[in-house]
Amino acid sequence: MLDATTLEILTESAKYDVSCSSSGSTRANRKGGLGNASVGGICHSFTPDGRCISLLKILMSNECMYDCEYCPNRRSADVRRARISPDEICTLTINFYKRNYIEGLFLSSAVFDTPDRTMELLVETVIKLRKQYNFNGYIHMKGIPRADNALALQAAKYVDRMSYNIELPSEKSLKLLAPQKTRDSLIVPMKKLQTAITYDRENRVKKGRTLPAGQTTQMIVGASPESDGQILRLTEYLYRHMGLKRVYYSSYIPVVQSSLLPAKPAGLLREHRLYQADWLLRFYGFSIDELCEADENLSADYDPKCAWALRNMHLFPVEVNTAPLEMLLRVPGIGAKSAYKITEARKFCKLDFDNLVKMRIVIKRAKHFITCKGKFYGAEGEAARAALLIEGSCRSVSEGSEQLSLFSTPATGYSALTGQL
Amino acid sequence: MKVFITDGTTEGFYTAVFDAYREDDAVITSPENMQLRFDSAVVNVAADSGKAQRVKNKLDRLDRYAAGDIDLALRSDDALREQAAFEYIKLLVKSGRPVRKMLSHPAVIDISDIISRVTGELHKMKGFLRFMETESGLLYAPYSPDNDITELIAPHFKARLGEQKFVIHDVKRKKAALCNGNTWFIAAVGEAEVYLSEYERAFETLWKKYYASVNIKERPHEKQMKGYMPVRYWKFLPEKNGPSE
Repeated sequence: MLDATTLEILTESAKYDVSCSSSGSTRANRKGGLGNASVGGICHSFTPDGRCISLLKILMSNECMYDCEYCPNRRSADVRRARISPDEICTLTINFYKRNYIEGLFLSSAVFDTPDRTMELLVETVIKLRKQYNFNGYIHMKGIPRADNALALQAAKYVDRMSYNIELPSEKSLKLLAPQKTRDSLIVPMKKLQTAITYDRENRVKKGRTLPAGQTTQMIVGASPESDGQILRLTEYLYRHMGLKRVYYSSYIPVVQSSLLPAKPAGLLREHRLYQADWLLRFYGFSIDELCEADENLSADYDPKCAWALRNMHLFPVEVNTAPLEMLLRVPGIGAKSAYKITEARKFCKLDFDNLVKMRIVIKRAKHFITCKGKFYGAEGEAARAALLIEGSCRSVSEGSEQLSLFSTPATGYSALTGQL
Repeated sequence: MKVFITDGTTEGFYTAVFDAYREDDAVITSPENMQLRFDSAVVNVAADSGKAQRVKNKLDRLDRYAAGDIDLALRSDDALREQAAFEYIKLLVKSGRPVRKMLSHPAVIDISDIISRVTGELHKMKGFLRFMETESGLLYAPYSPDNDITELIAPHFKARLGEQKFVIHDVKRKKAALCNGNTWFIAAVGEAEVYLSEYERAFETLWKKYYASVNIKERPHEKQMKGYMPVRYWKFLPEKNGPSE
């Protein structure tokens, strides 16, 4: 059986991958098999950092031929190395799954030997898990950049989700910090997979459908000088044109000492704001141009929706009993669920302020932007801004380090960095 | 005020609804949650399948999902579950059509809250239930949910575990879902004696190791962990008990 130290090394190496979701797939169990996928995803545990454990997140090996600056497993790093076999991964997955520890497998690897050889072994593992071990739970597999695209397409027939991590939001930063990865080595296989997904969807392929849970990616925030505006423009492109399901943001933590990298962590607030903006792009009908200029960062003081509303006070307040759903979604403090509740409830009777409170619509912020039966309960104009600022001062996100201020331009922090290019 | 005490069963509840419906300020409750006011008159209701069926038929005619909602609500550990379900039925009958979307009505809010705590716990338990492998290869999972969800959770694991034999044991309610690899059923189970397979401890240790390793120490956020995974559930989670080595 696998020993604990090997598991420790290969988990420690995999844990900085943020993605943990197990949603989006409806894979059914087969006769004599083990496992199925749950479309909404299931969290099986939570670690003291507040993240969920859904999948067994593990590297096949952390012996890497590349030397990416930010990566704790880069070739020149002095760390413990380990590798496990496809059968060991399968046994561990099956046994963890049976005990309901996990929802499935998240398989990744450092690039050992060659990209093709690494990818071949990953593909071999997932095929083995599906065919020999008859496992039908969720599998998320990382794509290895520069491996043959045919391997990615083969893997996509067996796994639920694949991801290539973009890591750094611009070609320039990639060149500086991860010279072995190029934009094309990430984008080309993503496009190929997307074409296969689209083909299967359009032809209503049922059996062995390509990536039922689609593709995702991850970007490190704060290791390189890109602004939130740039990052979110890339995000919007990935959602609208590449059909990605999720973009994850990982706030930079200095695990590696390097003259090319900032010494300070980027802070959790910036990551939090990016996720808020990400949600607005996907579920609230916002476009990036409404949220953030290309060379700007998101406001640290207000969440992005609030910031947008304060810039557009001429559109508010809106009447909850008549405002269209699209407009309710744009009211700060009203989320998708609340907006839905309001549109359903108002078909039966007119809603007043009390109704909203009883329906547990959070009106702390919303009250400045709505009227109920024509009555307004918030503060007007500038006063609203002031009221929100006071509320904002006790925000719940714990801050790991100094935050970017509203007016800071992103380039100033790392000018020494950019000088290298 | 008349207080109708049910026998705790669904049929008993529907019978009580039948009897209490014409009363002006009737209250329905189960024996364990009974709280009497000085002016209350107690009526003990004996389950009557004929009366219960008439109430159910009426509900089905008005809203075919209502009986399912009531079933979920009655699984709750909320002391006011019967009363909330009763109020919901009264509103439904009065309106003569589905009322589930009258989201600002107190009766709908109350029962929705109760139901969402039941389905919320059901979803959480799909993740937090932990099986251990016994000597004979059977999987055994003890747990102690707030709400009576064993009948709801068993089908999930049946689909997932296929031909595997398993037991899901609600130690608080002393009942269990038993699956022989083919079909599952509910039985009263007090205490279970379990002999673990020879690999059980080893996998449990690996899991604890995994749990400790995947945590990012630089980003502590214990409050969030406890928010998502309440401490009362930790008792049955190996990763939250004992040292990781």
